[in-house]
Amino acid sequence: MAIFPVAMLAVYGILFLVMPDKASMALKSSGTVFLNMLVPLCLVFVLMILINLFLKPAQIVKFLGRGAGIKGILLPAAAGIISTGPIYAWYPLLRDLKGKGAANSPIAIFLYNRAVKPFLLPVMIAYFGWVYVVILTVLMVLGSITVGYSLDVLTRKEDG
Amino acid sequence: MKIAISADGPNLKAQVGHRFGTSPYLIIVDVASGDIEAVPNPGASGQRGAGMQAVVLCISRDVKAVLTGYCSPAAQKQLRANGIEVLTSLNGTVGEALEKYSKGELRTSARVKPIKGKAIVARGALIHAIRSSAKQFTTLLPVLVGVVLVLGLFNAFASRDFLTSIFSGNPVLDTLWGACFGSIFAGNPINSYIIGGELLKYGVSLFAVTAFVVTWVTVGLVQLPAEIAALGRRFALIRNAISFILSIPIALLTVLILNLIGGAP
Repeated sequence: MAIFPVAMLAVYGILFLVMPDKASMALKSSGTVFLNMLVPLCLVFVLMILINLFLKPAQIVKFLGRGAGIKGILLPAAAGIISTGPIYAWYPLLRDLKGKGAANSPIAIFLYNRAVKPFLLPVMIAYFGWVYVVILTVLMVLGSITVGYSLDVLTRKEDG
Repeated sequence: MKIAISADGPNLKAQVGHRFGTSPYLIIVDVASGDIEAVPNPGASGQRGAGMQAVVLCISRDVKAVLTGYCSPAAQKQLRANGIEVLTSLNGTVGEALEKYSKGELRTSARVKPIKGKAIVARGALIHAIRSSAKQFTTLLPVLVGVVLVLGLFNAFASRDFLTSIFSGNPVLDTLWGACFGSIFAGNPINSYIIGGELLKYGVSLFAVTAFVVTWVTVGLVQLPAEIAALGRRFALIRNAISFILSIPIALLTVLILNLIGGAP
């Protein structure tokens, strides 16, 4: 996995030679993205510590494992909707949960419901109108269940 | 109360499985009702993490005791931490082990008492939790750095003019293009609303803009390496593929319902 960031650094190196202005712009933009990621990353780190301390695998399996039922849909859907920050800041936590017994379906539902952002709804309504936003939001939540169920079926063999 | 017995076969006549994590079956017995279920052991493949898969199965089935030949220290620790008794050094058939357990003949040397009582957050446990969380982070950090660098490149080279030049006016093709571009780009969803609003002003169809907005968050080609590293290649590829495909009917349904109601922006 170190190959990927090293390759990107090499690309930036070449870019600085051939298009220094664009390279500076790209690097500055990357810096902004990284800074914006810091606070959510810290939040995720604290959450991971708390989960490692207080949540036993049995509880994770009960709420997020295969066969968790409606809990395995509502809980990750709500978590996805209220989660903040870029998605890649949440990957360490999701990996941790998966390692402790969470099934693929709730993780997929969480990821999909990150598209629903209550605090951004006013902006979306301003551009597209509230009727559009309501329809799209409902369809996205239903879509998340479809993605979760499909993933569960398609990866069932892998989990045994 | 349920107990799990590792087994080489799916019935009581099978031999007790020598290793808990990799025995072909786990025979789950409801001691009260006598119901017996032979469950294929998910760790039977013997791949890395096999023991933990068997542990998770026992926890999910509300098992209170595990009977086996040998159970690794790591698996024993997890079982005990979840209040599951571990009895090892067993041999003979599953039926014989069950009979011995029922008669209480296993209440001596092979029995390991479960840890009971409320967990107290000791300093050692806190340090372990921090170390464990930090290890997860440092494993994924190089990939996250790579993803951030890619995002910087996209922000520097992709512009609204470039995007609007791609959309030809064909609703079907534009919807596909919208889904493709949304899949490539990433970042705060608010950016997708702004770009989507601009595309609408340039005459791009609402089908395309909706697909663009949907895939912006649900599909992530830029962060795919990070998702693969965290959640596995199969999960990441299938999830992104399904999300991409689903964006098309969601875009179609949204606009069709909107037109039916008469609330188009």
